[in-house]
Amino acid sequence: MNEQALVQIKNLSKTIGSKKIIKNLNLDLYKGQITGFLGPNGAGKTTTIRMMVGLMKPTEGDVLIDGQSVKHHFEESIEKVGVIVENPEMYKYMSGYKNLLHFSRMHKGISKKRINEVIEQVGMQNRINEKVGSYSLGMRQRLGLAQALLHKPKFLILDEPTNGLDPAGIWEFRLYLQKIARENGVAVFVSSHLLSEIELLCDRIAIIQNGELIDIKNVKELQQSRFYLKAEPLAQTEEILAGIGFPVSRHDGGLLVETEPEHIPGAIKILVNAEVSIFAIQPFQATLEDQFLELTGGGEIAQAHTK
Amino acid sequence: MLKLIQNEWMKLWSRKSSWIMIILLAVILFSSSAITKWVDNSMNTANTETWQQLEAAEMANNLILLENNSLGDVRREYLEGEVAIAEHRLENDVAPFDSNSMQQSVIDSHALMSLVTLFTVIVAGGIVAAEFSQGTIKMLLTRPVKRWKILSSKFITTMLYALLLAVVLFIVTAVAGLIFYGVSDGTYLVWNGSEVVEGSFWLEGLRLAALSFVNVLMISTFAFMLGTAFRSSSLAIGLSIFLLFTGVQAVFLLANYEIVKYYLFTHTDLTQYYTGFMLVDDITMTLSVIVLFVYFVIFMAISYVTFGKRDVTA
Repeated sequence: MNEQALVQIKNLSKTIGSKKIIKNLNLDLYKGQITGFLGPNGAGKTTTIRMMVGLMKPTEGDVLIDGQSVKHHFEESIEKVGVIVENPEMYKYMSGYKNLLHFSRMHKGISKKRINEVIEQVGMQNRINEKVGSYSLGMRQRLGLAQALLHKPKFLILDEPTNGLDPAGIWEFRLYLQKIARENGVAVFVSSHLLSEIELLCDRIAIIQNGELIDIKNVKELQQSRFYLKAEPLAQTEEILAGIGFPVSRHDGGLLVETEPEHIPGAIKILVNAEVSIFAIQPFQATLEDQFLELTGGGEIAQAHTK
Repeated sequence: MLKLIQNEWMKLWSRKSSWIMIILLAVILFSSSAITKWVDNSMNTANTETWQQLEAAEMANNLILLENNSLGDVRREYLEGEVAIAEHRLENDVAPFDSNSMQQSVIDSHALMSLVTLFTVIVAGGIVAAEFSQGTIKMLLTRPVKRWKILSSKFITTMLYALLLAVVLFIVTAVAGLIFYGVSDGTYLVWNGSEVVEGSFWLEGLRLAALSFVNVLMISTFAFMLGTAFRSSSLAIGLSIFLLFTGVQAVFLLANYEIVKYYLFTHTDLTQYYTGFMLVDDITMTLSVIVLFVYFVIFMAISYVTFGKRDVTA
């Protein structure tokens, strides 16, 4: 993908008091791609997102959205962004419709027709005229999504979006996000602590810890094919496999072989010919959770900073 | 900007308290007229003096006051005018309005402007602070609208609400006066500096109300600033109402010091230049306007700077 990034986070830093909460963060986000933002509590996810949408001012660095700086051209850059920061707090004393009307007036050229269209998209037609105070958390999430989509943003930022949705809601939500990413080329940035959710939703995952970006991975890469092999004698097996060009590593009293399934029968034949006793061979799937814990050092919570 | 004000206006009227305050204002004004009427009826025997006797007594009193050489210019001019009007009334047999009449109620309507201040302060202190306490501030500030525009729309909406309350005050006072007291015979006279001429009581009432509105403006701007800077509506409302009632008292404490001339509450009541109740003798309208303007600019500057720079973590 040699495409120009839609969103560029450049050398973003935030110091509060004497503590550097975000340390020189660099990250590019692309059209049509859903990027997950993972990190233990207190790693700086929310602070980063707040700086991206102009709620907090970066101490250093900047965020460019479609080439426009959030710092210097706030209106032009934010126009292209739809935001849900944590729980979408709405005006509880007004109806859902009035809330949407309220936010639509803050953008240019949103018609009543567009408001109704969005209401239908998030499936809120039946209760849109009731006061938000009477909504369940799930319904507020839907309304939150509706307000973020009103102005057809090119870039959607979601902080813990599935919080409070029921399983069917989460499923629908996931399909919907993937659809607007694919079909409308929207870049999506989702922070969540629900690892399994991120795994299903995202194309790419950025991992942050203690204010530093420690890894960016494509989900496909994470789901690469690996096999777990238990055989005797182990050292000899490892030597043979490495000798014929398989990437091998030790794992849990056996070996992990990185390869595509079609190479497995051939490998077994070679091992049998070398008189290795094979006890088990099975596909190995490390969950994102395992990898996340591995990367963040057991998921220990970063020193909490004062919010 | 118009759309932003429309938004704030919609939010304002979606809350019950905004309606309650307007209704409460009307109810208080009506019942105070009714109570005055009732009190007067039950002791109407006491009031047997004619208007001529009252005018003459007041004129004599004013003449005694005028003999005092240390009188400030504004106060002296006012008293001379009053004496001239009283002389004119007695000579030409022109009666003033009855003290309980629709016309006198209109002229005095500004006296209850502090109720408008009280209710406006509640809106002014909460209009920004509530966005923070409800958490809606983050939805509001992640829109393609600069922060100063949002703050301006909130300030303008507060002032529109105050204006509406002031209009309600004026109209309800007139209507209640008409219902409870009726129209009195009499003529409104003014001293224009060289002679006594007839004036309009409507215009006089409006002028005094407009001057009192400056007080509403100043105190609610103060509450607006506190609500914006501290994000706490209770602090903003409490402190502003406290100052509304005690601020003027401090003028008397400070009266012997030069600083009293630059103290906000020495100047907030601009009607003092027309009703003769000067708080401090040697101040002028020009000085008052300048001092009020400087305070206003400071209050606004603090509001805009804190709102514009704040990191939103709510």
